[in-house]
Amino acid sequence: MKMAAVLLAAIVVAALLLPPLLPWGYAAIDWDAVRTPAFSPGHVLGTDSVGRDLLARTLAGTRVTLAVATAAALVALVIGTAWGATAGWFGGRIDEFMMRIVDALYALPFMFVVIVLMVVFGRSVLLVFLGIGAVEWLTMARVVRGQVLALRNRPFILASEAAGAPARAILTGHILPNIASVAVAYLMLTVPQVVMVESFLSFLGLGVQEPLTSLGILVHDGADDMDIAPLTLIVPGFVLVATVVCLNRLGEGQRSRMAR
Amino acid sequence: MTLYAVEGLGLTLGSARLLDGVSFAVAKGGCTALVGASGSGKTMSCFAPFGLAPGILSGSARLEGTELVGLGEPALRPLRAGVGFVFQQPLTALTPHLTIGSQLAEAAGNRDRAALAAMLDRCGLPAAKLDQYPHRLSGGERQRALIAMATAHEPSLLVADEPTSALDAGLRHAILDLLDRFREQGKGLLLVSHDLPLVARHTDRVVVLDAGKVIEDGRAADVLKHPQHEITRALIAASPRLDSPAPILPKPGAPLLSATGIKVAFRRTLAVSEASFDVREGEALALVGRSGSGKSTLARAIARLGPCDTGSVTWRGQPMPVRARMKPEHRRRLQPVFQDPAASLDPHWTVAQSVEEPLRHLFPDLTPEARAERAAAALDEVELGTAFAQRRPSELSGGQAQRVAIARALVADPELILLDEATSALDVLVAGRILDLLAKLQQGRRLAILAITHDLAVARALCHRIAVMDAGRIVETGDTAACLAAPQSQALRDLVRAG
Repeated sequence: MKMAAVLLAAIVVAALLLPPLLPWGYAAIDWDAVRTPAFSPGHVLGTDSVGRDLLARTLAGTRVTLAVATAAALVALVIGTAWGATAGWFGGRIDEFMMRIVDALYALPFMFVVIVLMVVFGRSVLLVFLGIGAVEWLTMARVVRGQVLALRNRPFILASEAAGAPARAILTGHILPNIASVAVAYLMLTVPQVVMVESFLSFLGLGVQEPLTSLGILVHDGADDMDIAPLTLIVPGFVLVATVVCLNRLGEGQRSRMAR
Repeated sequence: MTLYAVEGLGLTLGSARLLDGVSFAVAKGGCTALVGASGSGKTMSCFAPFGLAPGILSGSARLEGTELVGLGEPALRPLRAGVGFVFQQPLTALTPHLTIGSQLAEAAGNRDRAALAAMLDRCGLPAAKLDQYPHRLSGGERQRALIAMATAHEPSLLVADEPTSALDAGLRHAILDLLDRFREQGKGLLLVSHDLPLVARHTDRVVVLDAGKVIEDGRAADVLKHPQHEITRALIAASPRLDSPAPILPKPGAPLLSATGIKVAFRRTLAVSEASFDVREGEALALVGRSGSGKSTLARAIARLGPCDTGSVTWRGQPMPVRARMKPEHRRRLQPVFQDPAASLDPHWTVAQSVEEPLRHLFPDLTPEARAERAAAALDEVELGTAFAQRRPSELSGGQAQRVAIARALVADPELILLDEATSALDVLVAGRILDLLAKLQQGRRLAILAITHDLAVARALCHRIAVMDAGRIVETGDTAACLAAPQSQALRDLVRAG
């Protein structure tokens, strides 16, 4: 738990602060150093097949991946919480109708949906955000609805109704603060999922566009060169795996803390 | 002959001394009761010697001559097999997805159906219950099933921790009688309770605990008749009796609330049918009945806090709107206080925020200063100091939380308060103080009260009239004293006999 937090913090801080300090940008090509090995002057982790600094590219990719993942997870949080809370609060037919929509969306092969969206609207980072977020909210909506159902007949909610609080005030004043910790735990479990989806899309060539990069693209490129330059696969691969494992670990920790 | 003897038992957890020199004994075929308010260490005294409580033990506890203190978990486990444990919450102590039969078989280590049926029969349950799941059983039946499980392996000592606290008054003596029957077979019984008069009828010895120390120890009848210690007297006095003198209640005024033909159904089951009653200014009406008789559902229906299918409610002759159309001016009239004080306050809100909530919505014109002032006055009225204003529910005891809930109900100056079992989740001493507080408010404010309770003593302490509910219907109404003296309905006769 602590290890996971430290490692994740190190990755995030490095991705945010380190790039300006490096001699080479992520898109700059060093014509004198195509495919240099690690620890050569100016390129700590060496360069890729067209002479771009691997460390700079990995950090830039981490930035993009984390940004997409965070934004998409937040989209999921907002839609999922609003949807789940509305369904759980009103109950009855409204709940039934809203949750059947969730079930129907669950049944769609969502990777396919994202790919179709990409093909129809063209590639853009914004679309990647929205596409992933719009699919990831389903689980959040179910979790939030369950929590709201459990809360809504608690005496303090009834007392609030007796105190004349309108539904909006009860939802924002009592329900949302009381489900926040659960929602945050699921948010932390959604981020690594989105990281995986984004990397997968990028690996397929549907993510962000060159020269901007993401961990998925780096792993894809590295896989092409793995026999001659294994570091180009190992470095971004390690960062990707470490990020996902750390986030999962933290999310699980948060969830089990609440279960107690 | 002594079966289980505890001498000078001490328990330390961190720097806290939870038990200090506790001594008591259970004879073969005898029954000893440990009595005290919550937090007095009575449950700890029972469970600690068997390795079922945290902390470091000292002193001595001998079960049939075997010393328990100082033994490790592997050595304790076979010894625990000689003891049957019955816990407080019959609702949560059974696994919901297994039948009674399979849970009993597990406890008995025996799958023979006839033997299992005999075990249930011994506890007053028919063999048909073997194939049922716990949710099909009533609270009393579950407690019987738990006793069957606790006695399945023929233990020599039976430890029962508040076995009746979660049950209706009507069931309490039946369960204690059942436990008594095991004494005839030479088993010892160790009973934990906060209700001294209740257990005194069933035990030989009573040991009164306070703050981890024994303050009184003697024959049950002696302790009940001639209590030596102040706390023992408080425990006896706090348990409200039906034979205490009738209270002087304020004179009722003009008709306030009137409900006619209320009907509430959940899916196809009728929870309340054709219920009608009225409450006058300053009058207190008790809705009594056993759990599941529909009294809470009825009260919530008329307070517009729960579903209400048909029937009309009028307030001073004017019809009360349906739940979704309730405006602040309607909500101001009537405020509820619920049973579980911990669940009736938002865990994230401070006491001040909770108490100010009705003011914020019902009197939107008040300035924040005026709100804070009125909230402070309400807290003062329920005898909580200003120091409590910034606390959160987790920092309050049950009694304090219930006072906050009462302050929240009073702050909007309602004419009627709805008490939904407002004292039954509290321990006797605290419940007694809350009742005194309510009686004071009733006198001081000329507050009308609709009290829902299964405890006739509460009805008697506060209420002018009672309405008895059974299976969703009001079966009897009348003056409290007259009804209790000569109950007409079977439901009330059962309640009176149990109380």
